[in-house]
Amino acid sequence: MKLYEALGLEPALALHMEEVKKHFYERSRQWHPDKFSRASAAEQDLALEMTAVLNDAYRTLRDPVSRAEYFLKERGIELSKDAPAELLEEVFELNMALEELRDGDASVRAQLEQSAAKFRSMQMVSDTELASLFIHHDAAPGPAKLDQIRAALNRRRYVSNLVRDVEKELHVHSAN
Amino acid sequence: MAYSEKVLDHYNHPRNVGSLDKADPTVGTGMVGAPECGDVMKLQVKVNPTTGIIEEAKFKTFGCGSAIASSSLATEWLRGKTVDEALAIKNTDIVNELSLPPVKIHCSVLAEDAIKAAIDDYKKKSAHV
Repeated sequence: MKLYEALGLEPALALHMEEVKKHFYERSRQWHPDKFSRASAAEQDLALEMTAVLNDAYRTLRDPVSRAEYFLKERGIELSKDAPAELLEEVFELNMALEELRDGDASVRAQLEQSAAKFRSMQMVSDTELASLFIHHDAAPGPAKLDQIRAALNRRRYVSNLVRDVEKELHVHSAN
Repeated sequence: MAYSEKVLDHYNHPRNVGSLDKADPTVGTGMVGAPECGDVMKLQVKVNPTTGIIEEAKFKTFGCGSAIASSSLATEWLRGKTVDEALAIKNTDIVNELSLPPVKIHCSVLAEDAIKAAIDDYKKKSAHV
């Protein structure tokens, strides 16, 4: 996996932020384009390219969600195309309330703030769930575990989109 | 992206928006969603239990114009059809009727899924009566 290799890390799902950061700093120093100011054009190009890859690797691997998405993609696993069925009823109600808010009914605010809080806590539960799935996977990798991770990621993504949308609407329609 | 005239017509004048009583044993409810966006589609059918004909179909969709048009068209088609005829509606029929571009095909898939889910729900409910 290219991004892990760039940072000199073994491909794993459970990574410590500090570890990723340490590797990133070390390698970035090593490949810093300033160090290559007197090198050949080819070496200068390589230094630039490596720096770009390192930045990309750091951005992708420091965040657990983007790291897992990258990991699954590299393993040839597409993220799920289904919305989590158990959430649909709630999402529908949420959209009804948002529509009322847009139509100027401020009385739904409290309900929306409650839903936002609920989805935010779901997001946190998802994060914890993912963290433990990562550890289990690294200890003994297997397709079944990757599948669980895929489902958890899908749910996490869906819920965080919801949080984002509700917060945005609440913000837009505040103060009037 | 430009919507086709038929999409715009359904979007501006959606047919059969609303809801039916979920608790009614002759009503089937289908709720489906798209994972990428927060799109949700609720489609309901009211079936005459003796004839098996869909007498009423309602929908409420939160999503883009194509998603709204696809479900609006679906409810139009559902009225007067038998349950089995309804299950034969394919997403490609919706694509053709509305001239949906490739990037919007998932909207028609959502509508087909909603029809199937609603009929499924009705069948489950009527099996218990």
